[in-house]
Amino acid sequence: MPSVITANLLRSGAVAYLAADGRWVSTLCDAVVADDAVSFNTLKAAAQAAVESSEITAVYAFDVHVVDHVPQPISVREAIRAATATAA
Amino acid sequence: MYKYDDFDRTFVADRAQQFRDQVGRRLAGDLTEEQFKPLRLQNGLYLQLHAYMLRVAIPYGVLSSRQLRQLALIARKWDRGFGHFTTRQNIQFNWIKLDDAPDILDALASVDMHAIQTSGNCVRNVTADPYAGVANDEIEDPRIWAEVLRQWSTIHPEFTFLPRKFKIAITGAAEDRAAILFHDIGLKLVSGAKGAIGFRVFVGGGQGRTPYIAQELASFIPRNELLSYLEAIMRVYNMHGRRDNIYKARIKILVNALGIDEFRRQVESHWGELDKASINLPVAELSRITAQFSQGPLPKRENSDDAIKARRLRDRNFDRWFRTNVRPHRVTGYSTVNISFKKPGKIPGDATAEQMEVVAELAERFSFEEIRVTYQQNLALPSVAIADLMSVYDGLVVAQLETANTELITDIIACPGLDFCNLANARSIGIAQEIAQLFADPSIAEEIGPLRLNISGCINACGHHHVGNIGILGVDKKGTEHYQITLGGSPKDDAAIGEIVGPSFPAEQVPSAIRAIVATYLSQRISPSETFVVAYGRIGKDPFRSALYDAPKLSHTIDSALEVTHV
Repeated sequence: MPSVITANLLRSGAVAYLAADGRWVSTLCDAVVADDAVSFNTLKAAAQAAVESSEITAVYAFDVHVVDHVPQPISVREAIRAATATAA
Repeated sequence: MYKYDDFDRTFVADRAQQFRDQVGRRLAGDLTEEQFKPLRLQNGLYLQLHAYMLRVAIPYGVLSSRQLRQLALIARKWDRGFGHFTTRQNIQFNWIKLDDAPDILDALASVDMHAIQTSGNCVRNVTADPYAGVANDEIEDPRIWAEVLRQWSTIHPEFTFLPRKFKIAITGAAEDRAAILFHDIGLKLVSGAKGAIGFRVFVGGGQGRTPYIAQELASFIPRNELLSYLEAIMRVYNMHGRRDNIYKARIKILVNALGIDEFRRQVESHWGELDKASINLPVAELSRITAQFSQGPLPKRENSDDAIKARRLRDRNFDRWFRTNVRPHRVTGYSTVNISFKKPGKIPGDATAEQMEVVAELAERFSFEEIRVTYQQNLALPSVAIADLMSVYDGLVVAQLETANTELITDIIACPGLDFCNLANARSIGIAQEIAQLFADPSIAEEIGPLRLNISGCINACGHHHVGNIGILGVDKKGTEHYQITLGGSPKDDAAIGEIVGPSFPAEQVPSAIRAIVATYLSQRISPSETFVVAYGRIGKDPFRSALYDAPKLSHTIDSALEVTHV
């Protein structure tokens, strides 16, 4: 299953996704998708480095569907995180 | 209300300064998250789905106008313009930045507030009857003892690393409005022999994964021995409470594993060995604290008001609000006003900065600068002269806070759920909003009568679903949000844990399920005075099961059911 690495930015707590260029972005559509174990481990190492440099916290990976090259969350939880709170 | 002395102020300011240093070290990379997490939690700072959440302590739900204004300032300056009142009589801010947290704690300290012990395995904010000190059915003001317990339990070295969190509730009234039977320890002020006043002590209540109704541990503990008795309870729990399994670590599990008789034997054995004199509160200190709650006689005001009578006749909305949200006061000429934060369609318990400021001003002008937070996520003005009720109502209308639904079906308790909370399985807020809108017509809600509807987004039960007359629990069913419905729960003196009525429903079916439940109640009740929970006790869950799971009956409407009851 393709996956995306997410975390919260340490200073703001905001939801962030790891992008292909190593930046942490706020939108899931800009996240890089790991398709296999090799790419996943590469991304995981990049995330660990960001944890150690105090840029992010609470890092984990979650499964996605990829539709037209764009990752889509599968779980409700990740859909809500990607959309910010659905309550208003 | 209690006023901080120099010791209190210095302590809270020092803690804020310590946290500033800790945050600085975390941001500089000198502390790992693993090292920092317990420090931030000790100061009420959680990391939730979208941001940090700061839970601010409101001891026993008592706020001054000045403090509420400061909460409004925090909402506006460091959050998104609102806060969320909780079932622990606290307030949470959902959009906090770690960068800002030290400044927020300083802002809280400047008005004698903090976020200490709003998280972690310690004694949490002591909750109390929201009408403490003003209720007409009260033996003694429980705020005094809630404050004693606050001071006793704050950074108490023995109670800093308990097996699990620990919640105490206290009431001094005949009617339990503090859900004391669903707390680790529930305290009720009672009269004993020769006019003595003491505490009836209950232990082992709670909700969450394994709900229990508290059992009586002692029928009468003299007031002046309360602290040593509680210390004995805490010692037994600290020694024998399980630390190997978070789900079995609460005192309710220990009490039920040992049995109440054996638990009592152990508590009394420890109590007998304690140096009680060194633990119990000195008389002078009790007098000092008691004096802080002594308001003196309220100014004399008339018990009735012709202008109010006239307004009730010509203004249906005011009349309804007067009936549902205004309750008796212990002093003639005064009343207590419930301020609903449950306008149908709004998020239960959410208050904008502007609304907080309006309430602060109304309290300043009409309620001796005091506000109460209820565990039903509303506010109350404890002492409003009857003659001032119209002014208060008109002020509330400006802030859209005049909703007349206290204790009615739209007065829904709802946790933040999966919209915010890291623990949740499902959303609570949207379901609450849909249900409230279903019963938004206030005449229908009033016709249905007293009905507690509570929603939790996970089994931790922050939304008190176990004790809702109708309870709704969000569950994750193969990746989708489903909702399990319980019936017959009650947080009051008739304490009961709701029974699961049947298989869960997907989100989109929940409103129609609630409508079917209410229609069934309306069609089955003997008279409008037979409340939902009483009717449920009489007829059981079968008629509700039938209405919910036999498809044709789902077409019941509230209107048709009301017609039945009017025949």
